[in-house]
Amino acid sequence: MEPTQIRAATKNDVDAIADLIARTKRLNSEFDPLFGVAQHAQDKAREYLLATLKKPGTILLVASKGMKVVGSIRAELREREFYEPHKVGHITDFYILPEFRRSALGKQVIEKMSGELRKMGAQMITCEVPTRNEIAVRFYEKNGFRPLLQTFAKLD
Amino acid sequence: MKKQKGMPDASKKAMAYSKFYGGKIGVVPKVPVHSLQDFSVWYTPGVGAVSMAIHADTSLSYDYTNRWNTIAVITDGTRVLGLGNIGPEASLPVMEGKALIYKFLGGVDAHALPLRVANTEQFIATVKALEPSLGGINLEDIESPKCFDILDRLRSEMHIPVWHDDQQGTAGVILAGLYNALKVTDRTLKGTRIVFFGAGAANIAAARLLMQAGCDPGDLIMLDSKGILHPEREDIDQLLLRNKWKYEIAIKTNAPRLKGGLENALRGADVLVAAAGQGPNLIKKKEVELMNKRAVTFLLANPVPEMWPTDAHAAGAEVVATGRSDFPNQVNNSLLFPAIFRGALDVRAKTITDKMVIAAATELAAFAENNLSAEHIIPNMDDWVVYARVASAVGMSAQKEGQARLRMTEKDLLRSAVERIEHSRKTMKVLVESGVISEPPK
Repeated sequence: MEPTQIRAATKNDVDAIADLIARTKRLNSEFDPLFGVAQHAQDKAREYLLATLKKPGTILLVASKGMKVVGSIRAELREREFYEPHKVGHITDFYILPEFRRSALGKQVIEKMSGELRKMGAQMITCEVPTRNEIAVRFYEKNGFRPLLQTFAKLD
Repeated sequence: MKKQKGMPDASKKAMAYSKFYGGKIGVVPKVPVHSLQDFSVWYTPGVGAVSMAIHADTSLSYDYTNRWNTIAVITDGTRVLGLGNIGPEASLPVMEGKALIYKFLGGVDAHALPLRVANTEQFIATVKALEPSLGGINLEDIESPKCFDILDRLRSEMHIPVWHDDQQGTAGVILAGLYNALKVTDRTLKGTRIVFFGAGAANIAAARLLMQAGCDPGDLIMLDSKGILHPEREDIDQLLLRNKWKYEIAIKTNAPRLKGGLENALRGADVLVAAAGQGPNLIKKKEVELMNKRAVTFLLANPVPEMWPTDAHAAGAEVVATGRSDFPNQVNNSLLFPAIFRGALDVRAKTITDKMVIAAATELAAFAENNLSAEHIIPNMDDWVVYARVASAVGMSAQKEGQARLRMTEKDLLRSAVERIEHSRKTMKVLVESGVISEPPK
């Protein structure tokens, strides 16, 4: 087995990461109809990723095995005007292909990303997942995160 | 009743006879009763001493009561035969039929026990509560994927064997047939590419058992209604949530990472195991033609196989098996389950492990070996000695696995299985010949 590597993403990875992001969005739509996936989500993900690569204060990492991208994570630095800790590293997108889970790869990716964010001054790491995405909720709780914010939704 | 006009003969008879006999199974005493005085022994006050002995050592319930030979055939009626969710009452005739087979072929006393339960938890709690009365449990006709959860839970939480025939029984017979089909076509389990068409209880259980039996998971390919399962399929995360057993298959199998439909799966495959639904046009000749030379096809849908055996042969398949008795090579659970419980009960097994199922399949295959051919990979049901042989293999395996409460030699196991099955057949003969069981009306 080739070892898994966690490294900064490049332009060449964008198509593969866009596929992973589209998968997370589809998964979210499974849990909650208010996360219905928009048309051309994958194309939009590609643009979003290309922009990310140029944007200061954002980080995009991939986990790869040989040539294959098996997971990706995106985060950005945010500032909270009224609260302490003030500087927050916020994970916006995170996905590992199912067959590469259960090997602590997810934990390693989160730790690597947290390290990078702290180097940039982040005092706290947050991430955002749909309340009903039980896979994600379970993962973060297992890795020592706790719920912080609630988003309430009403459709009418 | 007009509807009956178009019914097949067996259905018409089943309707008429069920009414005539008022069901298929009753309770017959095992002890002589000459006068009411005898009840002072069989019942109070005598029975109290027996109860107190068991109270002091509950394992004596296997010696002093019929528990050692008693199982329950339990369902919630959610997936009965091919009829769907027809409810517990409607499943009763099927469970009675199963109990009859258990008695006649295995000498096992089986109670038909459909349950009305609201959910999986209630099902599990109810079955667990029955443990003190039983030597084993046969689960039947429970919808997938719920049945996987129920079986896994009950197997780990109960101290008597729990068997789900639609999973383990079918998987075991498939494995037995496969052993001989591979022998006939000069193959071994290792390095043979096996395609499972259909991802219901039978095929998922068969794939799980084959991996236990030594198949390389990467050589297995499974298809569901959306095509070939592979770790990167779009709905893989949904599978994790909705059917973790199918998910496991998707993650572990398919080393060549095949994608798409049946054609892609069968190209270069050695074996096809279809349990996908009523044929006869679910699989096409041109698809089977893509398989390797000397292909093996199991077409298990009943009553109409996924494709007709003649078409499979015409497309190049050397060995063809179906679920039907009117074609050669009938893959039939009834070859296994009576023997499995005969063997498990005789050693008072605590569970039925996968290794015990593999041992049963191996013995079943060995029994057909004498006149092995492409047309004869599985024994016929009419040679009842096969049940005793498989039962003794199961009993031996249970001891090796550390799951037997009794120690018995292979010879003793075989003898007791023969005696018990013979006793059951003899009882039937005597009851019919004496007119206690009358012949059905013309």
